Amino acid sequence: MYLLKGLCMNGNGFHYKGYIGKILRVNLTSGTLSDVSLTNELAEQYIGGAGMAARILYDELPPGTDPLSAENKVIFLTGPVEGTMIPTSSRIGLYSKSPLTNTFFHSSAGGHFAPELKFSGYDGIIFEGTSEKPVYLFIDDGIAELRDATHLWGMDTYRVQHELFEEIGTEEIQIAAIGPAGEHLVRFACVICGCRALGRGGLGAVMGSKKLKAVAVRGRGQVDVPDMRKMKTFLDELFARFSAHPSTAEILPRYGTPVLVNANNSLGLLGYNNWQDEYYTEAEGLSGETMRKKIVKRDKSCYACPSRCGKFSIVGSGSFEGKRVEGPEYENIYALGSMCGHNDIEVVAAAERLCDDLGVDAIEAGVAVAFAMECYERGLITDKETDGMQLTFGRSDLIVPLITKMATREGYLADVLAEGVKRASETIGQGSDFFAMQNKGLTFPGHSARGMPGFALGYATGPRGGSHHDGRPTGERSGLVKRDTIEGKAEYMARINHLNILTDSMILCHLTEGIWGPLDITDVLVKCINYTTGMDLTLEDLRTTAERIWNLIRSFSVREGYRREHDKLPPRFMEEPIKTGPSKGMVISREMLDYMLDQYYEFRGWDKDTGIPTREKLLELGLEDVADDMEKYR
Amino acid sequence: MNVTLKCFANIRDIVGKKELPVDLIPGATLSDLFGYLQKAYGKNFDRQVTDQLTGELVPFLILINDKAFRSVSDMETPLNDGDIITIMIPFDGG
Repeated sequence: MYLLKGLCMNGNGFHYKGYIGKILRVNLTSGTLSDVSLTNELAEQYIGGAGMAARILYDELPPGTDPLSAENKVIFLTGPVEGTMIPTSSRIGLYSKSPLTNTFFHSSAGGHFAPELKFSGYDGIIFEGTSEKPVYLFIDDGIAELRDATHLWGMDTYRVQHELFEEIGTEEIQIAAIGPAGEHLVRFACVICGCRALGRGGLGAVMGSKKLKAVAVRGRGQVDVPDMRKMKTFLDELFARFSAHPSTAEILPRYGTPVLVNANNSLGLLGYNNWQDEYYTEAEGLSGETMRKKIVKRDKSCYACPSRCGKFSIVGSGSFEGKRVEGPEYENIYALGSMCGHNDIEVVAAAERLCDDLGVDAIEAGVAVAFAMECYERGLITDKETDGMQLTFGRSDLIVPLITKMATREGYLADVLAEGVKRASETIGQGSDFFAMQNKGLTFPGHSARGMPGFALGYATGPRGGSHHDGRPTGERSGLVKRDTIEGKAEYMARINHLNILTDSMILCHLTEGIWGPLDITDVLVKCINYTTGMDLTLEDLRTTAERIWNLIRSFSVREGYRREHDKLPPRFMEEPIKTGPSKGMVISREMLDYMLDQYYEFRGWDKDTGIPTREKLLELGLEDVADDMEKYR
Repeated sequence: MNVTLKCFANIRDIVGKKELPVDLIPGATLSDLFGYLQKAYGKNFDRQVTDQLTGELVPFLILINDKAFRSVSDMETPLNDGDIITIMIPFDGG
């Protein structure tokens, strides 16, 4: 089934609202641009965002494509809700084959880029090929043009945006840009949209490999829905729920994600010193409470979101006085703070700003520094490899210098780390894979595996590896699901996977999963999609759609060589129990993981030995072509 | 008897301190502690733990001396003199 083959240049009866109905295809090698139309079938079966992009890339990328070659493609795509007034309908997705994981990868960001893209006349943009010289794409109210970006090459992401404001002559444009890290093909380079990050997976390096510096969009269009009266009633209901729930109404607006520092630490689940432990006695210095007092100046919202979880901060003292950042977010506080063994929130703020400027994934950068610190303390690398940097845990003064070097691959160690922690551990060897805190090439964010077995299963089986958005920690952290048992975790995690991939296809924010879920797809999402598009989907339809997308993405991984043996955790999580704190003694043993994997594959209808979706399951989901493909790999 | 409530985030803002000593009658339960907090801090506290549409407590864990509790039946867990209670703020996401 090649759904985009049915696309034509002049529209083909696409009749759903919410969507614009059009994608821009940009060939960077030839410099040609063309409009392609969505099909009704593509929208019905894959919704948008991650689902739609997965279908496109499954069809158009041959297995074994080098992620940093001209053959790879990178897609900006919205979902049907973007540009409406549905809360959190702000998100842009970026999709490609990741240079870190070699899997289908999706990353999404809030802000204002996604609605503006739709107002400019497009649901998305597919970039293919490679430009000879640096370019940027500008879409101005339906007119798209590739422009020279030679003068922008080398600039950091905020400087690029300011230059484009000047060049285009207005600040009323939305821009997504890479920094020096993307240009240097750092495997965890990211894309910055405004002040938000399409952070994970190294998709900034994919753009860099194509010499695509930035995408700028401006538009005066609008997004239509089938029945505004029904939509307004639904919006009233949604906003009432947002205003009633403590998470969205009280905690996110006041503290944002950094509230999780003390919360996770209180449970004994805060990664400390490269996950050597999960309880940090000095965590208060990194907490959302300290951050609010010391550096936060105001709260910020994404388009159409009432929660104001974004925090704008200014460092008030010390070496980084005056540094401004939107953040820092919890994940970056964990990666750049507790993982590196220090509790200075001002250093974290400065380091996060640096990551934004240079265009690197702050989680990967922080965990890479932590990995290097452990290598140094164990004597696996010496002053020779570190150019004299004495990289011990707690050396907060070395974080900014080392990340700066990583972004341009300056020096031996920075160049090794720029390949990502998995490849770095392969280069350094000497048993460092034991504490290379990653799965499938993506490092873990700030959520415990050892302390939450269902979530550990999510990490192990997730197509992106170390992602906290394939599985989710909320159920076990909130007590909705018990975390002292491995029973029942297979179905629990599979339903969370489906909730996530559906909200990633619509695209809605996971920080508000208490409204949409939080443990399964609910009627709220059925209303959301139907009132936005005019589709007449049932709860069962949506659950099947989500399962279809998940199995398609799994099949993409299978084509790239992934099997059961890759659904795993690093040895530290499987052999070293948590040392101290309220979760002391918890571990996910090999036996526990195998038990959960057996149950998960059985629940999913996947082969128990290989992890490949069975033919029966794929046919059940309407994936006949994928079922035929998978025969080659059984 | 005396117990200590460890406070984070919005609850810390409301009670004004990181640790709040609370004087309860012997045999008091978690439910009684919540009753005390709701009486002492009113709607401000209530908004941090209760869905304002349904009136129900939202999902979150409560720790008693680092041990996690929280289900409807857990609210009748008796407290002891010297207990340290932590309300894990209800936060979806990460």
